[in-house]
Amino acid sequence: MSAPLLELSQVSYRYPDGSVGLKDCSLAIQRGSRNVLIGANGSGKTTLFQHCNALLRPQSGAVRYAGSAVDYRRAGLHELRSKVGMVFQNPDRQLFSASVQEDVSFGPLNLGLDMATVRQRVAGALQAVGMQAQADKAVHNLSFGQKKRVCIAGVLAMEPELLILDEPMAGLDYAMQTDLLTVLDGLHERGITLLVATHDIDFAYRWAERIHLMADGRCTASLNAQELGDHSQALADIGLPQPEVISLYRGLLARGLLPAVPAGPAPRCAASLLAMLAATNHPKESPCKIA
Amino acid sequence: MLIEQAAYANRWRPVSPAAKGLFAANALIAAFAASTPSTAAIIAAVLMTVTVLGAGIALLSYLRVSAPALLFLALGCLSLAFSIDVGNGGPVLQLAPTGWHKLAEVGARSLGALAALLFLILTTPLIDLIALLRRLKTPELLLEIMVLCYRMLFVFSVAIDETLTAQSARLGYASPRLAMRSLGELAANLTLQVWQRAHALHVAAQARNNDGPLRFIEPVFPHARRDCCIAALAGSSLIALALVLR
Repeated sequence: MSAPLLELSQVSYRYPDGSVGLKDCSLAIQRGSRNVLIGANGSGKTTLFQHCNALLRPQSGAVRYAGSAVDYRRAGLHELRSKVGMVFQNPDRQLFSASVQEDVSFGPLNLGLDMATVRQRVAGALQAVGMQAQADKAVHNLSFGQKKRVCIAGVLAMEPELLILDEPMAGLDYAMQTDLLTVLDGLHERGITLLVATHDIDFAYRWAERIHLMADGRCTASLNAQELGDHSQALADIGLPQPEVISLYRGLLARGLLPAVPAGPAPRCAASLLAMLAATNHPKESPCKIA
Repeated sequence: MLIEQAAYANRWRPVSPAAKGLFAANALIAAFAASTPSTAAIIAAVLMTVTVLGAGIALLSYLRVSAPALLFLALGCLSLAFSIDVGNGGPVLQLAPTGWHKLAEVGARSLGALAALLFLILTTPLIDLIALLRRLKTPELLLEIMVLCYRMLFVFSVAIDETLTAQSARLGYASPRLAMRSLGELAANLTLQVWQRAHALHVAAQARNNDGPLRFIEPVFPHARRDCCIAALAGSSLIALALVLR
């Protein structure tokens, strides 16, 4: 396996008020992968993200990007932040320009690009998140979901290799979540590595390739999403349940409604489970009898 | 908010802000060049008509936006019209000898100037005005403060609204004493939020590679040249009108 795109080794960070942000935290993100970081509130997800973007500097341990230790001098920070984009949880804390396209242009202009390239990137980023029609609108006239998209566009316009999103689904309704997922899938297809913080284990299991568990400032486990069902204890240790689709799948297996030796991998969403059930030949029983 | 809504929803939103600024500047000159109060009043009426009928600003919105300025103007004019005589045994309020003339002159000119500024702010969003000021080489620091103030205005209006609602829901304004206390807490809370948000914005700017000045893209108005020609023509007509009418 090639060197990870981003790697944290034994990183510790304590805030000035004495609270622990990270404690010997190690994590590796492979290039081109879809990653989810999952943990309770206060487990250190945001602190970890701020280390990825060099907004915080580890007090011990090391952060490496593409195999090289992060250089915390001005030029090094400039280079890292042009490759690692970060979308914050609260859009009102990220958007500070008055208009949509002005805000999206902020990052590319900071990269020192010429105006023609900036315009091109702004248009491309707004198109990628489906916000080109709102380019001239004032930021405060947008809905919460639209603001989130502008935040993503603002980072996309910098063309990062790794995009970090801090709880992007928080505060979004179902339709907005679906739209945002489509945007994220599109970005992944373009080769952007994604790292997303969430509390939703069902979403993590359905969407991610790698799931990183966080608790008490430490990454307690990094798992392939497909193998999540085999690590119930790791989930229980950080107070998380099994994804519902795994519980349901096991229930159906136990009742003999699915073959004991499955033809393919375990389903990761309700639709896959239903498809598996439909493809299975089993005697017709009434739902009451099954129950 | 009314200004904001009108600026975004008016018919002349796509017109170049440079053209609108040019017309407003000409209108200001016309208002001051008007030799008689009636001429200045005519200039004001023309500008109001242009704003309401041309740009499509609702008359009611126009009047509501202008009401505070008109009230301020009325108070100022009244103070010009009257004088206090302290000569004969005590202060007496009396009409100044040239009071009515001064009142009409200053009032009408101010009305014209007010109409010119209302035309500009009701047809041009502040983001376009800031971009225009940037092109006019206004100091960057001033523009950055304008951008941040403008953005924060809305962020804080939401924060105030949310805090007020949360306080009212728990009877925070049930009595004058409680209201005073709640207002104090609101102010304290907002002070803290100002500090937190300023820090958050600084971090967000750093995350997007900012190392000093805030740089933004400039909006493009494809017909700017044509718009400016029309504005210059219309503006100079207004000045001519002000000079011709006596």
